[in-house]
Amino acid sequence: MRVLVAVKLTYDINQLKFEKDGTPLLDACPRVMGEADKCALEEAVKLKDAGKAEEVTVLTIGSSKEHQRILKDAYAMGATKAVMVKVDDPDSLSALSVARIISSYAEKTGPYDLILLGSGAGDTHSSVVGPMVASLLGVPLLANADRVSVENGSVTIVSTLEDGQYKFTSKMPAVVTVTSEANEPRIPTIRDILRSKKKPIDETTPEELGAHVSKINIESIIKYEVPRKRVKIDATDNVEEAVEKLIKALEEEGVI
Amino acid sequence: MVDFEFSEDEIRFRDSVREFAKRYIEPKWVEIDEKGRIPMDLIKRIADQGLFAIPVPEEYGGMGGTMVMTALAVEEIAYHDPAVAVAVYTLLNNGWPLALALFGQEEAKMEVLPKVASGDAFFGIASTEPQGGSDVAGNKTVAKKVGDKWVINGEKAFISGIREIQELPEGGGFFLVAKTEKPGWSHKRITDFVVLPKWNGKIREEWKPTVYEEIGRHGLSTGGFTLENFEVDDKYRIGEVNKGFYLVLQGFNIARILVAAATVGSARWALDRAKEWLRTRKLFQGRPIASFEGVSFRYAELYTMVEAARYFVYKAAWMADNIYLSKSPRFKPQDLNLPVAMAKMLGPTVTTEVYTEVLKWFGAYGYTKECNAHRGWLGTFSYTIGAEGAQNIMKYIIARDTLGSDAVRNVWAKEEE
Repeated sequence: MRVLVAVKLTYDINQLKFEKDGTPLLDACPRVMGEADKCALEEAVKLKDAGKAEEVTVLTIGSSKEHQRILKDAYAMGATKAVMVKVDDPDSLSALSVARIISSYAEKTGPYDLILLGSGAGDTHSSVVGPMVASLLGVPLLANADRVSVENGSVTIVSTLEDGQYKFTSKMPAVVTVTSEANEPRIPTIRDILRSKKKPIDETTPEELGAHVSKINIESIIKYEVPRKRVKIDATDNVEEAVEKLIKALEEEGVI
Repeated sequence: MVDFEFSEDEIRFRDSVREFAKRYIEPKWVEIDEKGRIPMDLIKRIADQGLFAIPVPEEYGGMGGTMVMTALAVEEIAYHDPAVAVAVYTLLNNGWPLALALFGQEEAKMEVLPKVASGDAFFGIASTEPQGGSDVAGNKTVAKKVGDKWVINGEKAFISGIREIQELPEGGGFFLVAKTEKPGWSHKRITDFVVLPKWNGKIREEWKPTVYEEIGRHGLSTGGFTLENFEVDDKYRIGEVNKGFYLVLQGFNIARILVAAATVGSARWALDRAKEWLRTRKLFQGRPIASFEGVSFRYAELYTMVEAARYFVYKAAWMADNIYLSKSPRFKPQDLNLPVAMAKMLGPTVTTEVYTEVLKWFGAYGYTKECNAHRGWLGTFSYTIGAEGAQNIMKYIIARDTLGSDAVRNVWAKEEE
């Protein structure tokens, strides 16, 4: 079985700091492999460990040293092949362009039984690249997998939707997007890290792949905002009543 | 060309240790200090992550890394376990295995080191004796050659890992310093041995251990033991007969770098906790306490001193890599004495200063057990007292290597034959 995993270099959200007005300090934020992408890679490597996948190819789009680094990290986690599709300023690519590059690569070097992606990128979180790749390749999409299993030529996922958990099964080939809840990605050991630096990184370009790409020009960003709702509950006199109010407020928000 | 950046491999490795420590050590560090032991499954997990025997060559089961990487690992672990039990357990199982890999005999290395790397055995240092630790030449434990074996008698005190050796599946032992053939003050009659009181799961009856109760760093045991006619095969002799003094001092240099790294990691944790507090704690009509120079200037001083200690740690680790791993002719082993002594003098000292200040910044809360800063304070204070060398010994080394040994009092004057 051959598996292709697409990963994106994105901001380490855990280390992102903000200005007082809410502007994220992006330049000061380290960039890493996307959290959900890493979970997608972990699922692929688990299939390899279980003897179900022979090949785990990891693809990223970009040309910087940081892109090279996340591909080495992918090798350290257990990928068998790494590919860099060289594009300057990859963050300005439209989601459709990214999907075209991934699907073109899959068509050119495939067939792949499974294409895994993170369910959304840490920065844009548009969650549309996976569906677009499935559409361009004309294969089924199984989205937002919290669990992934492969048996007898079929892939099954468990996905948490608003009203409960659903199980979806499809024949392969298929595209699966994986959430950051799916697993706890392995942490490479020193041996993995030292060995990964010697592994080759294949390079190609959208032109070589025959992928038509377009860029989005962002004229200006007016405001970064994460809307927050404040609910004040007075617990001075009656704590029990305040707790009830708090529970009700949280239930209304769908938090509990 | 000066370059103060870590290499890409070193950064990737440090980040992996940081992630590991955040995931598996940080949630347990208070419990480890409260319950007084590192869970065996955590020790196994640290081993599986490849964090023991990091600088030991791969042919002995080690990771084939460097001392810079080892220091990075120890610093990160200490940041996530500021009471430093896990960090010290880790550093012992890196520094002394490297010393064995450098100076030991092939058969002993092949037998012991893979089990240390796999986390099944512990390997630390047994030098200190009841009469003191700094005066290594005054040690009284004696190893006598009887036939083709050595018979060791004596007593060691304030030794790390006594309980862990008994609890680990394989056991483990020590890089033990003994006087050759007879007691008497001498640094020219010292031989080092691999002593394994518990090995292949069996405890030797000639080894009588005891565990002490300490005021901090409770997760790692400290104790003492006696050896009564403890027989050791000659394959466990480390280096040449009577050259043990020079070898154990090199082992101390390696371990001191890592002790300093552990204290720096713990100090960084304390300063980061304080940073958040100083920025958000408001007094006198809403002013953050960081706005008072009495606080912020002290923070600035301590931050700078911790950074200075870090520089010493990594300079010393870099030099150790040049000497022992890449075998560069640029440096001799004795060149390491000065940078190591400065790192070991500054790291624990400034860390104690940091905690003394941070506890005060937290006010009455700092004096509660809920704050947890006291665990780092008590844990790291151990290293201002001794552990791989007392602070006054560090100062002696610095004075000797800068002012000149002819000007500094020679403590090796009276050799007893």
